[in-house]
Amino acid sequence: MFMWFFLVSDALTFSSLLCAYGFMRHKFAGDWAVPNDVFTHFPFLHGDHPLAYVGFMTFDLIMSSVTMVLAVEAGHRLNKRQVAMWLFFTIIGGFIFVGSQCWEWYHFITGEASNQQYREYWMNGKHIIDPHFQGANLIVNAYTQLPTFGDFFFCITGFHGFHVFSGVIINIIMLIMVLNGVMEKRGHYEMIEKAGLYWHFVDLVWVFVFTFFYLL
Amino acid sequence: MDFFEEYKGYPNYEKAAIHDEAHGKVVRKKLWMVFWIMLVITIAELIIGSQFHFSEINKEYTFIFLTLVKAFFIVWIFMHLGDERRAMKYAIIAPYTLFIFYLAFMAITEGVYSKVIRDALVSMVLHQ
Repeated sequence: MFMWFFLVSDALTFSSLLCAYGFMRHKFAGDWAVPNDVFTHFPFLHGDHPLAYVGFMTFDLIMSSVTMVLAVEAGHRLNKRQVAMWLFFTIIGGFIFVGSQCWEWYHFITGEASNQQYREYWMNGKHIIDPHFQGANLIVNAYTQLPTFGDFFFCITGFHGFHVFSGVIINIIMLIMVLNGVMEKRGHYEMIEKAGLYWHFVDLVWVFVFTFFYLL
Repeated sequence: MDFFEEYKGYPNYEKAAIHDEAHGKVVRKKLWMVFWIMLVITIAELIIGSQFHFSEINKEYTFIFLTLVKAFFIVWIFMHLGDERRAMKYAIIAPYTLFIFYLAFMAITEGVYSKVIRDALVSMVLHQ
């Protein structure tokens, strides 16, 4: 119940961020970047693959949500081995997601430029004046003339990524507790349920971020 | 007063939730069903997003509707809010139902309005 209180207040933070994003998105409707042109990379593949990688990330997070709910269900049957197994899969899914987000940020920040080229942009301060600047940061980005686009991207996906990361840490703590038989001694797996609520919340937020950032 | 009465029984909540193998099978079937539904919705979103070119406003409403459907499944089934006590259920859902309308209003109406104001100001400055 108190987990729900926390989630409700946390949801307000996210909805205010998304609300601000929606406001700015409409205010600068004509000049905003088209997500299909920005997020086109896919690991180990060249060329344009709009939305493919975010699609994969969404699938990964939904999948890890399902494994989490299966862990909770196994907890209801007091099956220690299955709880540990599903929690482990959830943690793997979480790490894949955080890693994907790092990868995505890297490509958003450097754009088409190589790492070395980008470093030169940054070191020489060329990122402010160079019209051929590739990539993005808080001051300027190559996708649109508005710094707001990059700012919102970093702020909201960063905040969400931080939630995912802390969720993974919580899940790891839960896994260690399960393996040590703490839950067994208590006679119930309520803590798994609470960690699960947090994890589903992270998934829920991503569903919204995915829609507003990558689809619209 | 009610709140504290309920809270006294709260630590036993999870023990009441323990179920046997047969019931577990039913629950798992439901969960996988929800997973397939969510997967289909996500794939549909991706196809619409990358292939179709709707008018801006239709696209927005389609995606927001599909997102709300997904959000409903996550909250109701995965977070099993549907199985909670009635008062708590609506205490959590009701404010956000209102908030979604506010958000849509804020983003669409107010955002467009301030765009109109901004464009008017810009053209005023340019024509002076």
